[in-house]
Amino acid sequence: MSDEINKQLFQRLVQPHFERLYRLAFRLTGRKPEAEDLFQELLIKAYGKLDDLVAIEEPGSWLSRVMYNLFIDEQRRFARRRMHTVEEGFLPVDGIEGFAGNESPEQDQRRLEKLNQLDLALKQLSDEHRLIVLLHDAEGYKLDEIHTLIGIPVGTVKSRLHRARARLREILTETGTFS
Amino acid sequence: MNNSDLERQDQEILELLKDYPAPTADAGFYEHALARATHEGSRRQRNRWVMTGFGSAIAAGLVLWFVGATFLATPNLPQPEDSIPGITMTLEEPRTVNLVFASAAALDAATLTVTLPDGIELAGFPGQREITWQTSLVEGKNFLPLELIALSSVGGEVLARLEHDDRDRTFRLRVEVS
Repeated sequence: MSDEINKQLFQRLVQPHFERLYRLAFRLTGRKPEAEDLFQELLIKAYGKLDDLVAIEEPGSWLSRVMYNLFIDEQRRFARRRMHTVEEGFLPVDGIEGFAGNESPEQDQRRLEKLNQLDLALKQLSDEHRLIVLLHDAEGYKLDEIHTLIGIPVGTVKSRLHRARARLREILTETGTFS
Repeated sequence: MNNSDLERQDQEILELLKDYPAPTADAGFYEHALARATHEGSRRQRNRWVMTGFGSAIAAGLVLWFVGATFLATPNLPQPEDSIPGITMTLEEPRTVNLVFASAAALDAATLTVTLPDGIELAGFPGQREITWQTSLVEGKNFLPLELIALSSVGGEVLARLEHDDRDRTFRLRVEVS
């Protein structure tokens, strides 16, 4: 195949999954620059495996798995960079500022405060628990999708999700977040 | 606390999580990422050692270091200035420098740290002066392409520090900007 045909084929296969992959990259790394770096690494790797990609029934799942594996392989690098910025918070500033409220200013402000409390609570979870709760409850991944993505049994996914939520509830209760 | 309180709190957490924001990509990011991936393809794996034919590495700037089997055990003596390899870059024009380490033996779990002078950046790592990879060296030639961008005309030295166990060796690359 010519380079141009390869490029077009690649684009057709990966483009429908861009937004979901971008969000996954962000949930994995916790910061936009690292997420974009991971996203770029994924595309480079995936293009090098175009022959495999063409033959795959569900490119979205495959791409997510490749991204997760890339992240695990490079975790040392990402973790190192995250350590430098831990005081900046897990939630991006533009995320909070970009929160689109649709209630009264007071209610929106209260909601924003709760999101900040949630952000702090999430930071207290282990990496495994945080990732699972974010993928399931924030991104809407199904249990078996998480199982496929990170390679742990569905039962383990469930129990980690349960523990993560319980821990979040505990932290948010301590901080007086609930109404 | 009774069960209905717990259920209400769980529900509130779920609603908050649904609103927990994630950024969206900037305009043009996807197009740029796609173009970069397809143009540079699999050879553009900057965080992986890729063993490759020596000839194919010569297209761009190339710096070759020989890594002897006992190189890490030898003292890290100062390099004479005239023996430091150098490249000349054009301001704000990306240039790929291929670092080639010819290793006499395989080395597992080696760490490479690239330190950049002010005004020189590694593509994809804006603002970072130090980038670290963990990798293994195969016996033979190990090829690492680095895409550098000069943001000022000052130039300087790019340092590549290779560590294995408790030993290390630093290699220097002089960069001039025209």
